[in-house]
Amino acid sequence: MAVSALGRRLGLRRAVATPSPDLGTPAVGVGQMADVGRPPGGGWRSHLGSLAFLAPAAIWLLVIVAYPLIGTIRNSFYDNSSTQFVGLGNYKTIFSTADILVSFRNNVIWVVVFPFLVTFLGLVFAVLTERVRWATAFKTIIFMPIAFSATASALVWNSIMDVDPHVGMVNATLQTINDWFSPPGLYPVNTGAGQTLSELASTGLGAGANGTLVSKAPVSPGQSVQLGMLGISPATLQLVGAQKAVIPASASGAVTGLVWRDFSPTNPTARGRVFADEDGIAGLRVTLLSSSGNSVGSTTTDAHGDFTFSGVSPGAYRVQLDSSNFSSGFTGIYWLSGTQNIDPTSGLNQTAQALLSIPLVDLSMIIAYLWIWAGFAMVIIGAGLAALNREVLEAARIDGANEWQTFRRVTMPMLAPVLVVVFVTMVINVLKIFDIILNMAPSVSQANTLATSLYNLGFASSPPANGLASAIAVILFVLVVPVIYINLRRIR
Amino acid sequence: MARVALEELTKRYAGGNLAVDRLNLDIADGEFVCLVGPSGCGKTTALRMIAGLEDITSGRVRIGEKVVNLLPPRDRDIALVFQSYALYPHMSVYDNMAFGLQLRKTPKPQIEKAVKEAARILDLERFLDRKPGQLSGGQRQRVALGRAIVREPAAFLMDEPLSNLDAKLRVQTRAEIARLHQRLEATMIYVTHDQVEAMTMADRIAVINEGLLQQVGTPKELYEQPHNRFVAGFIGSPSMNFVETASHRNGKAELQGEGVNLVLDDAQAARLRDRGLEAVVVGFRPEHLKVGEPGGPGLRVSARIDVVEFLGNDELIHAVSGGRDTVAIVEADARLAVGDTVSLWAEPRHVYLFDPQSEVSLGGA
Amino acid sequence: MSVAQAVAQPVAVSRRLAIRFRPSRVVLNVVLILVALFWMVPTISLLVISFRPEGLYGVSGWWTVFTEPSQLTLQNYQSLLGTGLGTGGILDSLITTALITVPATALVTVIASLAAYSLVFGKWRGRTAVFLVIVGLLVVPVQVALIPVAQLYHAFGNLTGFNPYGTLPGVVIFHVAFGLPFGIFLMRNFYTGIPKDLLEAGRIDGAGEWTLFRRVVLPLGVPAAASLAIFQFIWVWNDLLVGLVFLGGNAHHTLTIFLYSQTRTLAASYWVIATGAMISIIVPLAIFFAFQRYFVRGVLAGAVK
Repeated sequence: MAVSALGRRLGLRRAVATPSPDLGTPAVGVGQMADVGRPPGGGWRSHLGSLAFLAPAAIWLLVIVAYPLIGTIRNSFYDNSSTQFVGLGNYKTIFSTADILVSFRNNVIWVVVFPFLVTFLGLVFAVLTERVRWATAFKTIIFMPIAFSATASALVWNSIMDVDPHVGMVNATLQTINDWFSPPGLYPVNTGAGQTLSELASTGLGAGANGTLVSKAPVSPGQSVQLGMLGISPATLQLVGAQKAVIPASASGAVTGLVWRDFSPTNPTARGRVFADEDGIAGLRVTLLSSSGNSVGSTTTDAHGDFTFSGVSPGAYRVQLDSSNFSSGFTGIYWLSGTQNIDPTSGLNQTAQALLSIPLVDLSMIIAYLWIWAGFAMVIIGAGLAALNREVLEAARIDGANEWQTFRRVTMPMLAPVLVVVFVTMVINVLKIFDIILNMAPSVSQANTLATSLYNLGFASSPPANGLASAIAVILFVLVVPVIYINLRRIR
Repeated sequence: MARVALEELTKRYAGGNLAVDRLNLDIADGEFVCLVGPSGCGKTTALRMIAGLEDITSGRVRIGEKVVNLLPPRDRDIALVFQSYALYPHMSVYDNMAFGLQLRKTPKPQIEKAVKEAARILDLERFLDRKPGQLSGGQRQRVALGRAIVREPAAFLMDEPLSNLDAKLRVQTRAEIARLHQRLEATMIYVTHDQVEAMTMADRIAVINEGLLQQVGTPKELYEQPHNRFVAGFIGSPSMNFVETASHRNGKAELQGEGVNLVLDDAQAARLRDRGLEAVVVGFRPEHLKVGEPGGPGLRVSARIDVVEFLGNDELIHAVSGGRDTVAIVEADARLAVGDTVSLWAEPRHVYLFDPQSEVSLGGA
Repeated sequence: MSVAQAVAQPVAVSRRLAIRFRPSRVVLNVVLILVALFWMVPTISLLVISFRPEGLYGVSGWWTVFTEPSQLTLQNYQSLLGTGLGTGGILDSLITTALITVPATALVTVIASLAAYSLVFGKWRGRTAVFLVIVGLLVVPVQVALIPVAQLYHAFGNLTGFNPYGTLPGVVIFHVAFGLPFGIFLMRNFYTGIPKDLLEAGRIDGAGEWTLFRRVVLPLGVPAAASLAIFQFIWVWNDLLVGLVFLGGNAHHTLTIFLYSQTRTLAASYWVIATGAMISIIVPLAIFFAFQRYFVRGVLAGAVK
């Protein structure tokens, strides 16, 4: 017995060590094995041998996967230190804690939205690339992000989605487009520094409708008005090219006026008078309003701050400084905000509000995640497309189907199993979504998912909440059970 | 039903590869024509150009009187039976057959009538609700035929439709297609590499090699009067024996080659003289060889028997003379044994002469 | 018809066809080019930011580099890599990541190949059942094992004095366990394509199981093993969660943890993040481009993971 084992091993060693062109060579060992009476290729030991090959994997899976799975189920019924049995207590806590319910909500958003979008995008890319010559290059470009860690990808997108148009490309693009249609005013109200529009009004001006300033007293043709403003820096005026304020002469049939900076460095407390060291406010859009509030005409102040409306019929008018003068333009959307849609005045309780408000950060992360995974979907669906029987598609053409009909009625149904695989894979993927959330929404608890909550409860809090974290893990596991079932049926 | 005409039909692939070279073929209304040739000869490409699945490099395809070069397949009024059958795996047998009519917005009752009728002809009535995956190879084949039939196209195109069937089923289906052709009186263009299929089914056969049309004719014409060595060798099974021969030096009307001696009859001698040929390739079919010696003009082969294959009524012998193999079919009771030296002969009318350079037949036979 | 004519005519016909199909072709190509450009923007932005002076971040967009190429500088890389080894800098993280990834990849490839051999060519009963269990394990989320394995590690530490929690072996052991189901699945699917006759022939020649594995199956399975190894390598290299959990308070950080921790520091500076991210993706990217075909095969086989 021992001898035979030894002989077998020697034979093996020799067989392995001797370089040989084909399978016949282990004959070196055959003689030795034949000597000890081992039938070729048979015997219980050979079965045992191949069973032994399974052992490392089996032990590993039992100790690090199977046993812990049971341990997690146990832990989920114990308290956070895993010592006291609490029954369903952890599950009750989970379903009544607003923060964790938000995780559920976010997971639902991910599972409902993402697999659908990524499968669709992958399908579109796979179909379109079939018709271009540079398909390989295109596929490589789209597929490449899958080699990046989700962490790195999330950080890239963090910058792309930054609120500051000087950093975030999305906001920079939106700003460019926005400025195209409604450029920022020459005299933007710096709301960021707490400035309000009415603080700009000094003499003869008051706040009007929709972010405008309007002259307080009515004015008739032949009269001239003087409108003083404050809070506009000399630097801005210098940039605009403003000059010394000049009171315009009145003219019959015309409304004239001056808009000036009502602050004289030599008489810092005097208001309402035009001093020699005060500048006109140049380039201001001014509109003449009739007594009923309708616009009669518009003009722009000159370098001295003067404006004239001529040919005005008799009546009482007001002068309006347009809102466009004070618009600060596009300042960036807070794409990574987690508190976008919460309305504290609605009658809903806090939990319901938290559940109903879908933070913008979820949308941003879904876009980033699409960037990562669309290539995966495309490659799998593309392989499915390539595996389709060309002749069947040709048969459809012969049968009279146009391209769309062929796609809808032949390609799609034949591709359906592949689409399901991609969809299911992505569902599982986003059930466990973790890295991107941790990195893209680092301080936004509104973006948490089950996996991040589990991590936060079980590992990032002190002392760790093992019970709660385990209960979340069990829920995750239960959610993938249907997929296990689907896979098993497919394999069989 | 319609006539199909190919005029100077040419296909050159992007790499410059000439797949079909100026193919001219006129297929009459209701005719069954086989395009036959070795694999890669361009026959399938020609068929796909007729169907509209392949762009035409130059030349014309007419269906009826219309030039269809730029028409998509659906406007050509043809049906194509594919080698792989190309059934829609997700549709029932009924839907597979009805799909073309559905796309053409044919009224439902009419579709049902056409499909039921085709199913009856092809004995598929029991399978209408099944998916192709639940059918046997032969049944799938019939569904593919049915899909073509229901459309009542101007022409049926078939691309090696029997090559995925086992030998027995192939013979059966062959007969079925022949019957179908008689019944529908439809124009059929059938591509195959199997000359037996072509011989048994076609009204006329077009033999193609390396993109070039070699000969068009009835099976009998091709068998009896092959235009050139290629056709002679391709048609007939087992295929024709060829020997390179040269005139016997004593100037008699006699040719000699390896183990072969041919005494020419007057007509043959005259043809050789007219062309001033000293050397020719001699061809003779295995089934025309008999054991024994010719009485007068004729071919004589002397060889040592190498292999004897018993076929039942006959025996197939492989005999060697020098380095050359001669195949002959002789009656089983000739009692020939391996190692025997045997004399075989054939009548002059069964001997074919080919120009050794152009390989064109010198006529006769 | 002369040869010249035969050649001239096709040109005429194909030109007509080309004109017929051109507009949709052009639109399609333009759309795909735009998509491809859009897809490259994040990568390019990362690349550019990592080569711009840190002071410019937040002052002007990275895209201004196209009009002012003089912005480019190596200084970020110099300062990030200049910290050297043993200082908790990015070089340490690079080494830590490699020390986790390489053994985890090698172990999974070898152990999965062995197990797959046993499942395909072994003669013991219940192979199908075991395989189905492994298929079931394919989609089990790692989350279900985190806490018990951590507890297990501590218990093991109490017993033997070596607590794998917070050590590189601890991380590797976990990665291997969760890489195995996919690895066995992939290798088994490949091995089932090897004709059983080949093994029978070897057995008749007297080869034992180990010989058959080493000399026959393993060489034939190289393409699948390569796919598995590359897939597993990229998977482990890019992992954040397992490292985060099982390295615990260890001073050694993987690259992903290094990046993640940057977002957590108060003085988060994006130049460190961008440059670090670039350094972290170089290795997987190189592997991706060198072995794209194998990687795609692994992805296709792993569509269930």
